[in-house]
Amino acid sequence: MAANRYDAIVIGGGHNGLIAAAYLARAGRKVVVLERRERVGGAAVTEEIFPGFKFSMFSYVVSLLRPEIIRDLRLPEHGLQILPLESTLTPMENGDYFAAWADHDQTRRELLRHSALDAEAYDEYGRLMYHMAHAVKPILGMVPPDPASLRPRDLKGMLAVGNHFRSLGAEQFHAMFKLMTMSSADFLDEWFETDVLKATKSASGIIGTFLGPRSPGTAYVLLHHYMGELDGVFRAWGFQKGGTGGISEAIAASARSLGVAIRCGQTVQKVREKDGRVRGVVLENGDEIDANIVLTSLDPRRSFLELVDRKALPDEFVADISRFKFRGSSGKVNLALGALPDFTCMPGFGPHLRGAMSISPSMDYVERAYDDAKYGEFSKRPYMDIVIPSLIDPGMAPPGKHVMSVFVQYAPYNLNGGWTDAKREAFGDAVIGAIERFAPNIRSCIEHRQVLTPLDIERITGLSEGNIFQGELALHQLFFLRPAPGWARFRTPIRNYYQCGSGTHPGGGIMGASGRLGAMAVLEDHA
Amino acid sequence: MSRSVVVIGAGTNGLTAAQILATSGRQVIVLDQKQPADVDFDAGWVPPSVRAALNIQPEAEEQGSWLVMPMEGGRFELFADIARSAESIRRLSPRDASRWPEFCTRMRRLAGVLETLYQQNAPDVETTDPGELMHLALLGLRVRGLGRQTVIDLLRILPMPVAELLDEWFESELLKAAVGSTGVMDLCQGPRSAGTAFVMLHHHVGRPAGVFRPLRTSLRSTLSKRTNVEIRHDAAMHLEVAGERIRAVTLESGDTIETDCLVSSADPRRTMLDLLDPGWLDPEFMRAVHNIKMKGVAGTVTLALSCEAPFRQMSLAPSLTHIERAYDDVKYGRPSAQPWLELRNSGQKIEVQVQYLPQVPREGAWDEAGKRSLGNDVARRVVDAAPELKDAITGIRVMTPLDLDAHGGLTGGHRYQGDLTLDQILFMRPVAGWSRYRTPIGGLWLCGSGTHPGGGVAGASGLLAAREILRDAR
Amino acid sequence: MEGANWRRWAGYTVASSYELLHDREYHAIRSSAALLDVTPLYKYLVTGKDAARLVDRVIVRDALHARVGQVMYTCWCDSAGKVIDDGTVSRLGDETFRITSADPSLRWFALNAAGLHAKIEDVTESTAALALQGPNARAILQQLTGADLAHLKYFRVVSTTLRDMPVQISRTGYTGDLGYEIWLHAHDALAIWDALIEAGTPYGIVPCGMLGLDMARIEAGLMLLEVDYVSAHRALIEGQKSSPYELNLGWAVDLKKEWFVGKDALALEAARGPAWRFIGIEVDWENLERLYAEVKLPPRLPAQAWRVSVPLYVEGRQVGYATSGCWSPLLKKYIALGHVEAAYGNPGSRLAMEVTVEHRRKQAAATVVPTPFFNPDRKRA
Repeated sequence: MAANRYDAIVIGGGHNGLIAAAYLARAGRKVVVLERRERVGGAAVTEEIFPGFKFSMFSYVVSLLRPEIIRDLRLPEHGLQILPLESTLTPMENGDYFAAWADHDQTRRELLRHSALDAEAYDEYGRLMYHMAHAVKPILGMVPPDPASLRPRDLKGMLAVGNHFRSLGAEQFHAMFKLMTMSSADFLDEWFETDVLKATKSASGIIGTFLGPRSPGTAYVLLHHYMGELDGVFRAWGFQKGGTGGISEAIAASARSLGVAIRCGQTVQKVREKDGRVRGVVLENGDEIDANIVLTSLDPRRSFLELVDRKALPDEFVADISRFKFRGSSGKVNLALGALPDFTCMPGFGPHLRGAMSISPSMDYVERAYDDAKYGEFSKRPYMDIVIPSLIDPGMAPPGKHVMSVFVQYAPYNLNGGWTDAKREAFGDAVIGAIERFAPNIRSCIEHRQVLTPLDIERITGLSEGNIFQGELALHQLFFLRPAPGWARFRTPIRNYYQCGSGTHPGGGIMGASGRLGAMAVLEDHA
Repeated sequence: MSRSVVVIGAGTNGLTAAQILATSGRQVIVLDQKQPADVDFDAGWVPPSVRAALNIQPEAEEQGSWLVMPMEGGRFELFADIARSAESIRRLSPRDASRWPEFCTRMRRLAGVLETLYQQNAPDVETTDPGELMHLALLGLRVRGLGRQTVIDLLRILPMPVAELLDEWFESELLKAAVGSTGVMDLCQGPRSAGTAFVMLHHHVGRPAGVFRPLRTSLRSTLSKRTNVEIRHDAAMHLEVAGERIRAVTLESGDTIETDCLVSSADPRRTMLDLLDPGWLDPEFMRAVHNIKMKGVAGTVTLALSCEAPFRQMSLAPSLTHIERAYDDVKYGRPSAQPWLELRNSGQKIEVQVQYLPQVPREGAWDEAGKRSLGNDVARRVVDAAPELKDAITGIRVMTPLDLDAHGGLTGGHRYQGDLTLDQILFMRPVAGWSRYRTPIGGLWLCGSGTHPGGGVAGASGLLAAREILRDAR
Repeated sequence: MEGANWRRWAGYTVASSYELLHDREYHAIRSSAALLDVTPLYKYLVTGKDAARLVDRVIVRDALHARVGQVMYTCWCDSAGKVIDDGTVSRLGDETFRITSADPSLRWFALNAAGLHAKIEDVTESTAALALQGPNARAILQQLTGADLAHLKYFRVVSTTLRDMPVQISRTGYTGDLGYEIWLHAHDALAIWDALIEAGTPYGIVPCGMLGLDMARIEAGLMLLEVDYVSAHRALIEGQKSSPYELNLGWAVDLKKEWFVGKDALALEAARGPAWRFIGIEVDWENLERLYAEVKLPPRLPAQAWRVSVPLYVEGRQVGYATSGCWSPLLKKYIALGHVEAAYGNPGSRLAMEVTVEHRRKQAAATVVPTPFFNPDRKRA
């Protein structure tokens, strides 16, 4: 059956799966992507949840998509269009606010209101982070070597990593070491005195993690904000026109143009394996598809503990994957608004509404939000990152109406007593209540609301425990430890079964690097 | 070099440095900064290198149980003997008991790596010097020699939260608390914070497999009896500098000692920012010193007894979650409502380490009333756990982190002169780029536990600093 | 007024020129008097028992022995001896200094002040600064103040009043001409501006924007941060940083001081000699004319000062780069400021500067000359 035989099968039609498929097709392989849902995109989808209101249902902003992928796959020609997100407003408990604007001088003036020293430290900090992002970038594009292996390839890799860090010079090397090990709170304390500034910055260090701003290991994520700038992209954060699903559509269109077959509504039940070698997949409906190469863009738990017969895997590997931590910690509330919210600290309509609104009024506020989650409750007063995409992209909502996307942390997957419909609504109420403290009219603006818990995220997208990064970005789950020691090179213990999801290095965010590196690993082995 | 070397501080590190320098023919004056007698800073492992250099016999390993914990219907005990501990653990969980021996072996191997690192200068990872590079390579080979599992364990476990590490091994909350609590000892972090697995291993150095509490040492009292150095009961108030070199030290008594070699075992911040004549340091260096995290969160309550307590060491924390919640309070400047208490039998008294206490409470203050109520609360908890002491307590004395700062000469009230977090160890201790005991001021050296390898390793900083001083003089 | 005539300066909007063309403003600097609003300069007041000690440990010149009323032009360095910024330091009292800088400097001074009894106050917003520059500056200003300007020497400052408003007048400027800078309360700025225009009108006073000033400062050989050199705090790579010796500011570095930030590195460099020199360049007119003649054009000259990096060559090899330059209408010379490898930095050295002649790159012969290019006696007299 020629129709059911391919050079390679990619399991999962999220952005990484599509990117991997596109790269393989670009190299002349016959590839099929199998997606369980009726649409591609995974967690990067746009859906018209309420008539006329379109939402980036899960992932809502983009900055990290690797520029080489945009170039190689010619994504702008296939519909990629990023609209800049210009500012961040943080309302404070005392009615004041902190705002960061696209215009540097304007931000400086705003900072001067809070602290003259911080206004200067801000620029110096920005330069340091620029340096750090520059230093990390080659690591993100690198296949992690195995530090415990004595093979020449790994030794060479370790030497390359070592030399790279040594080449940074003492000052930057030390800063890098601190970034990798410190908490964002401690790291920011070394630079700033303004609490609300630190709270807002540190909030970006906890997104998607089950950690608080005072937990070591969160400083590193601060870097992400500076990553995009390296590639000459000014104002790197933005929305995809038409919602985040547009990115997936663009990648899918590019993949199709390269000859990739994309089959939606096809759930893979098992990866077929014989004599330690992959043979193809079996679908839920019993169909079999043959290929000598299979790539999985699913998370490590699904890829190895569900799709594969455990007996085909070494015990140690199974143990490593079993203890790989997911612990989804974020929820999403999508609101259809009949009118715009009015923030007490900056009343009326203004440019601030076109940017992000960060509900992170103080360091303690964010830390307390974490405390709730630590013991199995959703945050009574959560940290939230709010955007109103319809102000930048009017097509997202009916004229005069708006869509509001509220990213919420923390909502632990393992809620005490488990998630129920009642708990979901209580969580939604907590979110609205917390927004109401800063924008009192919010309740009257809401026409519809959708509340997504980590359990919902898991159910809809398949991401284990609703973890948006396919596995926590903790120090002991990064680089050569992602997803398991010895198996960070995109290969797996089953021959010709490859990983290309964000559960591998470098992980998380709509970066696409894992998809690309996974495809590269295939092409390296099957030149 | 006719002038005397002056050593600030008569703790284990100051005295060790003084001894090494005196043995090599220097005139040494040690300034005893008058630490309060019943604050015991002498917890820690005395590495073989220190013993050899000072010609001191090893202390006898204690026998019997190293930790007792109250549990439902009795007491849970852990012993130096792994099998005996496993027997004890079996009452909590047969599964945990079966995993105990392997856990002990794996941890011992990792502590062994730390022991190697702690007896030599911190590795200089940025070096281009061939000697240092060779040293690094040998270190790398030695670790590799311990096997693949050890390499992965080192990389994976050191940055982990101790709670997560123990969750991978055990199910008994009590056992996890017994072992894991040392991961947050003297640290402003909870057991769910990354890097606390390292701290647990740090406190395991020098101990046999299966013993997860630091040793006590009499090193300080042994050394303070030696007569080859002059010990003056006076405190340094001001360090004078001329031409970027140390010139003299002015004492509390008003005396001035001229010197071209001053070795400070006071913490780096006190030495460089408080004692040193201002205006001599690069701003970035000062900023780095200023930024050393020293968040003292442990206090000591000493209970005088009319009889001896029936245990050597007792830990009062039913679970790591209990400790995590205790930590939550201090994040917001409150003393733990339900603290973690670690009791140590000290003859006719019990020393209780109380965690967590803020150095300065956000509300209220460490006044007499606050301290009294803390002392009474601790005494009540001790009696609850050990009812036999009900009528035996004859006196209560309280030292908060603030007292340690004000009277103990420890900035931030931190016993280790700097938190043992991953960003403040090895070549990052005391500040990045200055791990070899010297300072930007010629003739001014650091040798306290604020330097590599840090608190809990007695005399090692003093020894390594003295060796650097002697090497520099050659 | 057209939009292009406004520009940013340190977060303020300032006039590039008040008229549509800037040449009348430039000529006023050299022939009558020009009034410039230089308020966007960052200004800091350092006070306290250790004020002199703090300033002395930061800047490369000797502040401990500066007299009250003295103004010093200086730079300051990081611990590696690379220049962070340059500006003026005025000793207003035994324990009071005012520092001006091109970049925000509060944090750097505050970091240096650890342990010292000195207070640093940002007075950028509260203190306005007007520069009155040109041959008629003294005659205009003297009408408005009781201070004896004839005896106010070059790089001295005096506290006085101007129409009963308290001001400080310093004999300083960024034009290399006779001139004064007036330091005043921000709320008096409009009144004093008007008073100066009123008193200056009979003397031909002209409000002058940044374009005119830029040409004058190049003629005076004065460098500009972020144009002619990169601050050590902003540099992205080591190669972008410069030492005082490399910026022709070696004269300011006082190695006899007991200590200041960067001293150790600078002492080494002083002994070794700098790797680069900051130089004045005069383009050879005949040669330039000939290059244009080849395409049958008369030489085309920039109407404004330029601020781009232009390669400098010796025998076809690039040995440096010019960072700003202009046609000097006064001197009738095409001049530029730039950096060259030390060996090529002596006055009289011949080199070539890249010029674009009718879309094609050429090399025009040029000579290294001492700066300032224009140095009238009246500046100091």
